[in-house]
Formats: sequence, C-alpha cells, structure tokens
Amino acid sequence: MAQYLPVLALLLLGSGFAAINLVVSKLVSPSRPTEEKLAPYECGIVPGREPPHRFPVRFYLIAMLFIIFDIEIVFLYPWAVANAGLGRFGLVAILIFSALVFESFIYLISKGALDWGTLQVNRRLSPMVNEDRTVESTVRKVGLVGRFEEVESLKDALIDGNAATDSVPEQDGAAA
Amino acid sequence: MGGHPFLADGVDFGDVILAVVLALVALVLTLVMTMLMVWFERKVVGRLQNRIGPNVAGPFGLLQTMADGMKLLFKEDLIPAKADKVLFVLAPFLAVVPAFLTFTVVPIAGDFSNGGSGSSTLPGFLGSREFLWQVADVPIGILFFLAMSSLAVYGIVLAGYGSGSKYPLISSVRATAQAISYEAALGLSLAAVFLVSGALSTNQIVLNQVAEGYGGFNFTRWNVVTTGLIPFIVFLIAATAELNRPPFDLVEAEQELVGGFHTEYSSFRFALFFLAEFMNTVTMGGIIVTLFFGGPSGPQLLPLGAFMGFIWFFLKLMVFLFIFVWFRATLPRVRYDQLMDLGWKVLIPISLAWLLMLGGLQLVRSGDLSFVDSTSADLVIVIALGLAIGLLGYAMLNAAIRTSRSERLAEEGLKLIAPKSQDSESLAGHQTGTTQGGH
Repeated sequence: MAQYLPVLALLLLGSGFAAINLVVSKLVSPSRPTEEKLAPYECGIVPGREPPHRFPVRFYLIAMLFIIFDIEIVFLYPWAVANAGLGRFGLVAILIFSALVFESFIYLISKGALDWGTLQVNRRLSPMVNEDRTVESTVRKVGLVGRFEEVESLKDALIDGNAATDSVPEQDGAAA
Repeated sequence: MGGHPFLADGVDFGDVILAVVLALVALVLTLVMTMLMVWFERKVVGRLQNRIGPNVAGPFGLLQTMADGMKLLFKEDLIPAKADKVLFVLAPFLAVVPAFLTFTVVPIAGDFSNGGSGSSTLPGFLGSREFLWQVADVPIGILFFLAMSSLAVYGIVLAGYGSGSKYPLISSVRATAQAISYEAALGLSLAAVFLVSGALSTNQIVLNQVAEGYGGFNFTRWNVVTTGLIPFIVFLIAATAELNRPPFDLVEAEQELVGGFHTEYSSFRFALFFLAEFMNTVTMGGIIVTLFFGGPSGPQLLPLGAFMGFIWFFLKLMVFLFIFVWFRATLPRVRYDQLMDLGWKVLIPISLAWLLMLGGLQLVRSGDLSFVDSTSADLVIVIALGLAIGLLGYAMLNAAIRTSRSERLAEEGLKLIAPKSQDSESLAGHQTGTTQGGH
C-alpha cells in the first residue's frame, strides 16, 4: 500500500488548494445577498414550479444496464491481463460469457430499452410536406451566401436606373 | 510489479518527503498545464473562428486565465436559498479532487531508451532514492483512473441535485446517463490495451510499448498499432464524451439548460468546476498518450536523460489537446438519442467484438491456439472466424434494432402513418383540408 502514499499526499494537497482558495475568496469577496440573487436562476423568469422529482424511466433503465455491462467489464479485465497464460480455456470461457451478455444485450435492444426520443420516421410521409419537395427547393437562402449572381444582376439593374423587377430575370438568364 | 522503487521496501521519513514533493510538483504542474490549456483552447478556437482570441493579459494573452481566476476570487459567492447547503458546498470538491488524482497515474517523463525502466535516481546526498516520473505507479494503474473518472461524476450529479434549481438538475441527470453509457465503451476499449500489455500499471504499459532496438523507439510497438486502431478510436470518442466536451457537451447545452449543472455556482466554486473540466481534458490527453502512443518513450535525440521523455510526452500530448479543441470548433452538438445510440449500439458492440478477436489472435501468435500447421494460416482462420461471428452479431443487432423500431411503429406509428396515407391521397385530390392527422 506504500505506493499510494503520493496519491494520499496529492489528495490532501488538492483538497487543501481548493479549500484555501475558497476561504480566500470568502475573505476578499463582498457578500450582499438579496432575495432575487438567491432565487433559482432561470434567465430572468420568476421560477414558478419546483424542480422535478420524477424523471423518465429510461434514465433508471440506463443505470441498471450500465451495471450489467460494468460487471461484464469487471470480468473481462482479469481475462485480458492474463490471457497469454490462460490459453484456449480462457478464450472459450470468455467467448461463452460474452455470447450470453451479448444475447441479453440484443434482447434489450429489441425491446426498445435503449431507444431515446421520438421515433425518427421519414418526414416525407407527413401530409404537411409536399411530395416533390427537395432540399434545394425548401432551404431558404439567408444573406448573400451563394447568391452572388442574383445580387450582381440586381446591382446592374439598379445602376442602369431601371430597377424594375422584370429586368432582373432577364439579366439572371443572361448570367446563366 | 512496478511502482516507485523507493517505496517498495519500507518507508522512512525521507521517502515521505519525496512522496510529498512529487505530489507538490504534480499539483503545480497540473495547475500550470490547466491554465495554459484554457489559454490554448481559447486561442485556437479564436483562430479557427477567424478571431484573435485573448491577447491583452500578459504576452500573447498567456495570463488571461490567471486574470479570470483572480476576478472570480473577488466575486460574490452565493448559495441559493433553495440549495441543499452540504451538497452544494461538497460538489466542487468532488469534481476537482478526482481531477487532481487522475493525473497521478500519468507518466510524464523518464528515460525509456536502451532498456531504461523510466526511473531516475536522486543524488547521493538526498539518499539515492530511485523514483519514477509519475506521482504514483499504483498496481491497479488504469483502474485507478477509471475509478477517479467515475467519482468525478458525483461532483456533477450533486452539483445539479444540490442547486435546488430546474435546469442544473436536468443537466446532471443527463450527465449521469451520458457518463455511465460511455464508461462502458471506455472500459471495453481499455481491455484491448490490457490484453496486449498484460498489465494495468501505467509504467508497465509504457515499458511494453518500448522496442528493444531503435534507441527504444519503434512506433509499431505502440498500442495504437498493436491493438489495431479500433480501440484507440473508440477510446478517443468515449473520452470526449466522458469529458463532456463538444460534440458531446449536452450537459452544458446552453440553449436548453441555461448554463448546465453549474448554473447556480458563482465565484470560486464555479472556478473549481471550470478548473476540473480542463484538468480532466489535459489528463485524458495524457492517458491517451500513455495507453496508445508510448507515453514519454522516444529516441534520445538530445542527451537530456529523463527530460527528453518529458519533451516527447509534451509533443504527443499537444496533438491530442489540439484534437480536442479542433473537435470543439468543428463539430456541432449531437442530439441526445444520437449520443445514446452511438454509445450503446455502435461503440460497445464494436469494442467487444474487437477485444475477443484480439484475444484469439494473441493466442494464435503464442501458439496456444492452432488449427493447422502454419501460424499465418491460423491467423487467417481466426480472422475469418472472427469476421463470421462479427457479421452474425451485426445481423442480430440489426434485427434487434429493426424489431424495436417496428414495434414502436406498431404502437404509435400505425396511428401516425395509416391516416397519413389517406390524407395525402385526399390532399392530392383537392389540395386542401385535414392536415392535423400527422400529429
């Protein structure tokens, strides 16, 4: 256990560093608490509800699954370190073990235990979306990115003095 | 067995002093490296975003972090009225102390060339004590690192829980699920390193990557090559997620969660979380270098002894720190379901399959596993078998994902799709009408 001596030293030094700085901060910083300052911070909105005490069950499920996998890893480490000496017996044993864990993993996935969020279905199926829409047809162009030709032709039209809208498509066609 | 030689046979007063000195050096070094890392990140992200970055405090803005720290020290320290006071005060310590301790197992210097064990000896008037260039080389080595990175999660969880505020709580619950999901992938990719090294101690892992000739340098001995790249990639992704760094920084998704789990923290308590985060980044870079890239080993280009090891370590470390910063500047944040899918359905099966395959190949090379006379034919057979089993596993995984999807479709989707197809028919008919069916 002597090898842990420097770790212990660093543990004390690290906690000491944090504690001393907190004390120094306490001494040099002002303390003028008000009710508003001590309220939960929600970007200026007055907090209406208490923090939730219930969470989606998936989080608990993940915690349980993690234990299964962590135990698997705990069994894998000794095998990994000693594999060279264990020979064929070790490999077969760990293969059987992994197959069993993998099988339960497959079962979990097929039961949807690891699915998060809403189902990602094809958006095209929605009646709200036009069938023949493409990415290009619906992406709105913002700013001047990718629009230099249009802008140039608009500019030319303005300089010519006849900024009528009907001249723009012509110039556009000429540029193309 | 590894470990500091001076601690191996009894401990006297001088040994304790040396242990404290090692810890003190590590403390200062981690703090300075963290300070520089914050500066480096801000500077590089600045350049990548076509800005200059910090450039006022000190030369090249190097002291910016120091200035920020001093500013935080003088700020008002608030404990929210609804907070759980004990947990609220305890949480920053639980975040920052494991961050310090993780650094203990990283070897940062040492002469590993020409059969050197990486240890140095103090001069005679200091008792000729022989030590390694790391704070501690505990026998469990990397397991200690895993334990500390698990402990660090407590800091985040208790900070969120103790704040008595909505968004920090949500953030901390997310953080827990994310950390434990990726810890499984992290652990499995580590097992591949243990397999080829046959040891958990970091000094042994580095020694195992040093070649006999070539002045101790041969990159084909690095674990990134001997474990076949995949564990390294899995480890890099899982490490980024463990660090809660972009693109996996859902814990601090500002748009959804105000500021993340430390929203309610101010003054130096906030600084401690910040410190822990960057310290963990530096340490994780060091762990990657140690595990996969030979740590401080390298050719003695200049006759500097152990310090040459530090130069090699530093150069390798900088590559990974830059990669972390690069990730942050380049990649958009993933969605939560994408995060979980990547962790559970991609990284874990891949690293498990790869580990078992590596185990088989290792036995073939040592002659314990043979089907035919020649070793190379055996290797081909094992690889083919591994591929076949892997494909079977992939097919099963795919089938499972499809089953779960179709079951969910049957549950909620049938209601969603069946009226929809009717709707789109009617839409095609008269171009107006009932479009509420989809929701």
